[in-house]
Amino acid sequence: MSASTVAFSDAQLAEVRRLQALYPDARAALLPVLHMAQETFGHISLEAEEYVAGLFDVTPAHVHEVVTFYTLFFRQPKGRHVVAVCHNLSCHLAGAPEIIAHVMRRLGIGVGATTDDGRVTLQAVECLCACEHAPMMQVDDRYEFGLTPEKVDQILEGLR
Amino acid sequence: MPKLTINGQAVEVPAGTNLIEAARKVGVEVPHYCYHPALSIAGQCRLCMVDIEKTPRPTIACNTPASDGMVVWTETDRVKETRKSIMEFHLINHPLDCPVCDQAGECWLQIYYMRYGLYDPRMRDEKVHKPKAVPLGPHVMLDAERCILCSRCVRFCDEVTGTGELGIFHRGDDSEIGLFPGKELVNKYSGNVVDICPVGALTDRDFRFAVRVWYLDSTASICPGCARGCNIEVHVNRRRPHHNEGRRVARLKPRFNADVNRWWICDDGRYGFTFVDDKTRLVAPSSREDGAVSDATWEEAIAAIVGALGRFAPAEIGVFASPKMANEDLWALRRVLEQCGIRRVAFRVPPPVPGDEDTLLIRSDKNPNSRGAELLGLDGDGAAILRAACVRQVKCLWVFGHDLLASAWDPAETDAALRALSLLIFIGTNSNATSERAQWVLPAAAWVEREGTYTNFEGRVQRFRQAVEPLGQALPEWDILGRVLQALGAEVGAPRAERWFRELTSGVPAFGGMSYQAIGDTGAVLNAPSAGQPRSEPASRTPLR
Repeated sequence: MSASTVAFSDAQLAEVRRLQALYPDARAALLPVLHMAQETFGHISLEAEEYVAGLFDVTPAHVHEVVTFYTLFFRQPKGRHVVAVCHNLSCHLAGAPEIIAHVMRRLGIGVGATTDDGRVTLQAVECLCACEHAPMMQVDDRYEFGLTPEKVDQILEGLR
Repeated sequence: MPKLTINGQAVEVPAGTNLIEAARKVGVEVPHYCYHPALSIAGQCRLCMVDIEKTPRPTIACNTPASDGMVVWTETDRVKETRKSIMEFHLINHPLDCPVCDQAGECWLQIYYMRYGLYDPRMRDEKVHKPKAVPLGPHVMLDAERCILCSRCVRFCDEVTGTGELGIFHRGDDSEIGLFPGKELVNKYSGNVVDICPVGALTDRDFRFAVRVWYLDSTASICPGCARGCNIEVHVNRRRPHHNEGRRVARLKPRFNADVNRWWICDDGRYGFTFVDDKTRLVAPSSREDGAVSDATWEEAIAAIVGALGRFAPAEIGVFASPKMANEDLWALRRVLEQCGIRRVAFRVPPPVPGDEDTLLIRSDKNPNSRGAELLGLDGDGAAILRAACVRQVKCLWVFGHDLLASAWDPAETDAALRALSLLIFIGTNSNATSERAQWVLPAAAWVEREGTYTNFEGRVQRFRQAVEPLGQALPEWDILGRVLQALGAEVGAPRAERWFRELTSGVPAFGGMSYQAIGDTGAVLNAPSAGQPRSEPASRTPLR
């Protein structure tokens, strides 16, 4: 992404100002604004971090701190879909390692990688608060419960 | 003001004082890493836990303000056990680098481990590995594995310099300090992060692997880099002269002075000492005749100067004193000038580019003693002296340290003035283009090789002390000038800097009543009514008699 394309629209800039005014310390709006940046630019590049820093009067290093702290900020271009398989305790006991191995075989990529066609990014994540349905995973904004290799195949098929 | 008890000792402290500072007042050290009196409270390292009566569990002292009736204990079994556990956490991923780490010997991990740790390590897993030997900028090297994430350096860049270059990236045991990718730590005060780093994570690139710190001796001194006069320690390596290629001054460190520089010095000052051991140092008196340079003895050199002072009429002699000379030197010079009736004297030579200045410490006047030279009445018109030399009104020029050819003055005109002279005498620490033109060149001792006082821009007189022997035959300017005075038949007492200072205090009212003892380690402010102001009124200067 070139530097010139990292810029919010006027409406987005108005939203940034609205968010900043909500908090005693404008810096608190950094998180929602970074989410806006990720939605707008696809991922948060270093250029985007510097751009956001400029909107907040903080240094790029301090935006970098926030972006690297949270795993839901993508610092590299991500796939059109994000598959996040839980590998925390309950899911682990219920077979998450096999599920992850199966997804890796199916997609031909490792954890943290994106398929060559840019279709899917695979992640292994900590507890998503659905232990009663273990093993589970999150696909984009939906939860998928009670995973089996067959069910996983079906779900992956549906991702275009 | 809250009154509290710390380890059984009663103490009263101003409201808002935290427990680390309150304990300091009664001589109790509360161990800590992240707390620094100049920085905001981070509460990051958890080492400063103390027990407070009626509080269920140990509390961090740095973030607890003293309150009335508080009863604090810093050495209970529970506190000691807590410290030990916290040390264990800090050292889980810390490499056993001490044998190759510059910080060894002045490392708070080592010190506190020996005092409060001393446990058997229980970790069997591989340590987390992080980047090592990463240059952050021209002066600072990062070893991320050694870092305990106290965030002092991050807060320094945020709160003291306001440049905010550093951050703590990632999280958990992946956390590491660093710069925004592609950026450099280039602020004017970057060296200070090495001083405040309690461990070996940030080390000084200039000092790296140079000398083990336990071989260093420390001398209280004053930075000669600008008119601020920051208090410093000169660390010299006398015990292992073969280390660091014989460089005697190993490093300069800031020395706390609440009224001058607090805990800090700028990078220009910190790394500005290299001239002391430079190849350009003048080490013996020498004379130049028809382009041929020959070494001379001090006796010959003094005789040559005295001869010149007699040969030329006082009006034919011009003197460029230096604002880098100490008060003692300037007073000795003034005695010589008065003895001979010389009135053409100046000390300001404008630099080719104006000096930078900021609101923290750095002053645009890159001389430590302009104020002293003003007060001693040496503030004449330098350009006029050079103009007089061009038309042969001045035939003998006596220059202290300056390179007149590297000034804001037109080099061609300065060159013409030097060319027209019958005699040019140069006294300084290092050779330069002007000394190359002199018939007599006399070696002066550098500030770390002698003692003396500077008067900073605020009118604070501060002492610097001798850290190393003068190179070769170099002498302090007051000593050279004292020999000249003696040869001129004047009364000169013991050859000691302090004697010249005593004479100065009785000769210049602004210095009246001062003594080396009274100046001590933190300096003393001039007592003339307007002397404490940054720029003196002409009336407060003492004119040449």
